Amino acid sequence: MINKYIKLCICILIFFSKLHSQDIISKINFDSSLNKIKLELNKYILLNKNDSISIETIKFYISNIKLAIDDSIIFQEPNSYHLIDFENISTKSISLNYHKNIIFNKIKFNLGIDSATNVSGALGGDLDPTKGMYWTWQNGYINFKFEGKSNICQNKNNEFQYHLGGYLYPNNSIQEITLNIKNNKDLNININLDNLLPNLNLSDKNHIMSPSLESVKVSKIIANSFEIK
Amino acid sequence: MRIFILLILFVASILFLSFDTENDLFNYPTSWQKPYYDFTKNPLSKEKIELGRRLFYDPILSKDSTISCQSCHSQYSAFTHIDHSLSHGINDSIGLRNSPALMNLAWNKSFMWDGAINHLDMQALAPISNPIEMGENITNVVYKLQNSKIYPKLFYNAFNDSIITGEHTLKAISQFMLTLISSNSKYDSVMREQSDFTQQESNGYKIFKANCSTCHTEPLFTNYEFENNGLKVDPSHNDYGRMRITSKSYDSLKFKVPTLRNIEFSYPYMHDGRFKRLSDVINHYTNGIEESETLSKKLKTKINLTSNEKVDLISFLLTLTDKEFLFNPKFGYIKK
Repeated sequence: MINKYIKLCICILIFFSKLHSQDIISKINFDSSLNKIKLELNKYILLNKNDSISIETIKFYISNIKLAIDDSIIFQEPNSYHLIDFENISTKSISLNYHKNIIFNKIKFNLGIDSATNVSGALGGDLDPTKGMYWTWQNGYINFKFEGKSNICQNKNNEFQYHLGGYLYPNNSIQEITLNIKNNKDLNININLDNLLPNLNLSDKNHIMSPSLESVKVSKIIANSFEIK
Repeated sequence: MRIFILLILFVASILFLSFDTENDLFNYPTSWQKPYYDFTKNPLSKEKIELGRRLFYDPILSKDSTISCQSCHSQYSAFTHIDHSLSHGINDSIGLRNSPALMNLAWNKSFMWDGAINHLDMQALAPISNPIEMGENITNVVYKLQNSKIYPKLFYNAFNDSIITGEHTLKAISQFMLTLISSNSKYDSVMREQSDFTQQESNGYKIFKANCSTCHTEPLFTNYEFENNGLKVDPSHNDYGRMRITSKSYDSLKFKVPTLRNIEFSYPYMHDGRFKRLSDVINHYTNGIEESETLSKKLKTKINLTSNEKVDLISFLLTLTDKEFLFNPKFGYIKK
């Protein structure tokens, strides 16, 4: 009798391993560029004759990753929450596990954390509040942290600090991003700072630290600077 | 095959037992509504509650190891901070508000006087991180716990994982707070028809039902809404309450309606602790209401009470004292 169960188990194992081999693991790599060159953190980069900037933090949540052909979704990553921190190279790539026969021409994802997750209490993994992406005086995830220094910033330390988030109307800052893909292997996503920086008002709106309409506005500007490379 | 059946029986009995213990860990009167807290995401266990209780009483949560949760939430005062109108933190800093009493938290939808906190699990983060309360951050708390002698073992016993995380730390603290149920006051025993109000308490109960119970709804003695109860703005704080969170002018001066259970021991009263005595509170409602646009509709008609009626009302409020809760050793400091 027991023998029979062992045989059954082996069959199931073989079946699943066969199924598994049909999956391919693809990587989505995130990076950023400034002056059309790959960004290095904590290094002053000239923007023009007079101004320079040093980016110290780019840290953000990517969630609900989907692959699509035109408008029909053909793959949706389960439990899809990823914290990308440019300071920590291992977080800059997401492994996506999907069936190898899938063909797609679009990738969709959210920049930030949805409102249901924001009210779900203590969560683990990338959503653990020890990751430094959670507001404490008023609850909610910080979707995007963008920090650095520039002589453009008219404040004491010439700093800018954008902590963008907010999950309640009218301050919901989460952004859905859709990018067209040329071929299925190209999953290098770039945050184009040459598009982003001219749209930020670094000289006086250089600190956003709570859910606000300003946070929504800057979140949109950032979402628009995501591109496939 | 026999092994298979035994296995099923074993699993079933474990399920049955765990169900049974959960009931032992969280008891409330059958007449109360179902709790709001989602226990399926944080199932109670004896080990987790004990861990949470230890954390609640441990100043390791604060930056300089001087302040624990109980510093502002001590059991004998229904888990608030008596004698201090505004609560204290590290380096003798003084906060903006009076610390709320902690009880029956599983029924709360939001936390803090202004509802800034959307989930019980996330509540502890606020005082831990506030520079004038514990002045610490959860990442460092987890680091300190991981490097302590006792905690990795306690976390292993509770969560089957000796790697400590923010999630597990917060869930354990929640578990202890969830067990703080106050449901055995004289009022409760009268409702169960096991004792009787005195004539004075009974008069007070009638006055209460006629004037107070639309906001302080039985049996939990709050409707969990935010209301402007006509307090004058203190110009040294300029605290506009819920508006700070929603940025909506209609939320100006609104604060969460607190429970009245154990009110005898949870003085001083109001969000800024401005009233020391229950009689001050009642005099505010009869004579001190400040008109404003957002004043609660329920307070627009003047409340008139004679001095005898005021005394009767207070005698009813004292029946909400639950000595079993205030002195239950289960909720107290863990002796090492």
